[in-house]
Amino acid sequence: MYEGLFLIDNTHASMEWDNVVKHIHDILQKNGAEILKTEKWGEKKLAYKIKGHKRGTYLLIHFNTKSGAITAIKRDFQLSDYIIRSLIVKDDKIEEVSQIGVIEPIPARNTGATPEIKDAELLEKTDMAINVTGEA
Amino acid sequence: MSKKRFNRTSKCRFCRMGVEELDYKDTQNLVKLTTNQGKLFSRKRSGNCAHHQHSVKLSVKRARFMALLPYVA
Repeated sequence: MYEGLFLIDNTHASMEWDNVVKHIHDILQKNGAEILKTEKWGEKKLAYKIKGHKRGTYLLIHFNTKSGAITAIKRDFQLSDYIIRSLIVKDDKIEEVSQIGVIEPIPARNTGATPEIKDAELLEKTDMAINVTGEA
Repeated sequence: MSKKRFNRTSKCRFCRMGVEELDYKDTQNLVKLTTNQGKLFSRKRSGNCAHHQHSVKLSVKRARFMALLPYVA
């Protein structure tokens, strides 16, 4: 069981999203992969510029394939024009829990407010915050 | 005088929660394990056990590669 996260060029993503998804699926299927789940995260601001891109669209795909096929898949994605960056991770237990905080876009308060909090407070708050998400 | 007085929860936060591995996609929580500059907290500072500190390290580095977290902020 593999999990691939793809960062897609925004110009292509907004113009021809279906084509891009099909293109990625084709590459995977060409290499004998069985696609289990495709999920669009939507457009996000990148933490730093990649090849001049400030924003990008993320696509998450869960798939199953033989371990030997991964190198070929990775090379094909590197050659693709649509994809800025890709990360393929092996994950034997893809759970629902792993989706916490991902499907919805990150609320503005978390990105802005937390860095200002002093260290001692931060640790306490994070402890609480993580507990909350853990229980849910 | 009894030992109970000193019975503190000494495990790391992820052990207490029963989390096995961290997820690089969970940016909201990973941000809290890094400094304002985007550096990782030390094991001493975060209080994590060896297993979970490794896991934190790996997931933060994966998140950085995918531009979900900054290398330098």
